Amino acid sequence: MTAAAVDPATVKLAIETGGVAFRNPVLTASGTFGYGREFEGLTDLTALGGLVTKGISPAPRFGNATPRICETASGMLNSIGLENVGVAGFESEKLPYLRQCGTRVIVNFFGTTFDEYVACGAGLDKLDGVDALEMNVSCPNIKAGGIEFGTDPRVLAELVRACRPVVKKPLWIKLTPNTSDIVALARACADGGADGLSIINTITGMAIDARTRRPKIATIFGGLSGPAIKPIALRMVYQVHRAGVPLPISGIGGIQDATDAIEFFLAGATTVQVGTQSFVDPDASGHIVRDLQARLAADGISDVRELIGALRT
Amino acid sequence: MRYFQARISENRVLGGGYFVLRLANCSSLSAAKPGQFVMIRGAWGRDPLLPRAFSLMSVDPSNGTADVLAKTVGRGTALLERALPGAEVDVLGPLGTSFPEPQADTVDLLVAGGVGLPPLYMQGELAAARSLVSRSELLYGGRGAPDLVLLHEMEAMGLAMHLTTEDGTVGTQGLVTRVLEARLDKHRGARVRVMGCGPNAMLWAVARLARERDVPCFISLEEQMACGIGVCLGCAIPARSRPYRYVCSNGPVFDAADVLDVKPGVPPPPAGCPA
Repeated sequence: MTAAAVDPATVKLAIETGGVAFRNPVLTASGTFGYGREFEGLTDLTALGGLVTKGISPAPRFGNATPRICETASGMLNSIGLENVGVAGFESEKLPYLRQCGTRVIVNFFGTTFDEYVACGAGLDKLDGVDALEMNVSCPNIKAGGIEFGTDPRVLAELVRACRPVVKKPLWIKLTPNTSDIVALARACADGGADGLSIINTITGMAIDARTRRPKIATIFGGLSGPAIKPIALRMVYQVHRAGVPLPISGIGGIQDATDAIEFFLAGATTVQVGTQSFVDPDASGHIVRDLQARLAADGISDVRELIGALRT
Repeated sequence: MRYFQARISENRVLGGGYFVLRLANCSSLSAAKPGQFVMIRGAWGRDPLLPRAFSLMSVDPSNGTADVLAKTVGRGTALLERALPGAEVDVLGPLGTSFPEPQADTVDLLVAGGVGLPPLYMQGELAAARSLVSRSELLYGGRGAPDLVLLHEMEAMGLAMHLTTEDGTVGTQGLVTRVLEARLDKHRGARVRVMGCGPNAMLWAVARLARERDVPCFISLEEQMACGIGVCLGCAIPARSRPYRYVCSNGPVFDAADVLDVKPGVPPPPAGCPA
């Protein structure tokens, strides 16, 4: 706070966490950055810490009926339906670009059954150019009546344990915030053998058009994202960090600028993921990296790691 | 496509909620074609959050300006309507597909509904610049007189106009599709194309008419979108060639045959469809 400013060029942003060495702790969140190439020319991918791809399932999916999105107060709701190109499509159409894009590549993946998760994880684990996998556990478990895999600690631990043997790459689990006990879910992931946590996925929400008396998105419920959810995300990151769950945390939820990122580091995150803000400003993650460096330099902080978990209570 | 900061140099309020923003510092848009669009966001803080999509109405490469026509329908457009000259806005564009270019041997029926005018205005400008404006006709419909804007400008282009209003205050009373029917009759036997932009209900009616007459038809669709570049996948529409196409990146201008009367979620038919 009162330390003398340091030369921005000497500020260390690099961090090794969750089994991956990043040049800086600013990543882009799954579902908001496509497969990377969409942002070519709009942001410098080589300036990013890393990117997390759109969620991949074993086979391609075509997504939900429309309307799929709507804006809400300081946020948006989406129900895209996990549309993606599938493992084979990812390997043939998307990975060649990602291999040479100059940043760390984390592939988000999911299934609708245990077997699908395992098959998807195994398929992606074989691919060169993928630095880590991030498991989306916010999907409905079809065999369990559509309850999200990631809301029951026992099911979650089993799921992580089932995938662990086939995933040699670092395995991160993206937790759902739709729970009353985020710490129990985080512990379940640690018990299952995960290497890292991404906290949080979108929060289930709803929007209604009072004039037409209809829901604003076709599936009625959707995932809320954007600055509206930041306080909840910060709280959950902090709870997991404070509880001493032995996994690094990638903080996600409404991050718009370097100050937001710093808040997540203070709460205990080792990296952050920029999500919805990439829709607002396609160079948002680039802005955050540049501003983070300048902010740290001005505050006399020579290494971003000094901030992690440094919340004063 | 570039992401850059532009400055509002003029905000011309036309009444009825319509306004034309002239944006300076838009040389990145100089090569934009009719039908293409931009995402625009002012310095709005955290709310409203997302940029808004606007079809371009005109670009002037000589001074790097771009015009968009908008109508206030929600919070974002309300903020833009009140924006003062000098205000800075973030712009992403030019984005999306465009209408086919004017051709000397083809009559283009340009069908505009209300605030769907801009891409057809720009198509008229393009035709005029190529001395082909006599091959284009604008069929322009709205609820009432305030919905028909920029008539003098289009007259000055030399664009033939057929105006309709639902309340009959200007032009023919009724829907623009009635006039389209008449113009298709008039040009029977000639090479004709229909290009439309406006409310989706109007566009589907236009596309059905064109299909009945076996006339090529291109429509510019509108959908909620967050990013404009094929990432959020919010602006999906059911299509024949794929289960879903995206208004931002596969459109906004579509061959109507690919998107007309497609039920959502129907898997794509086998070979023979446009990719």
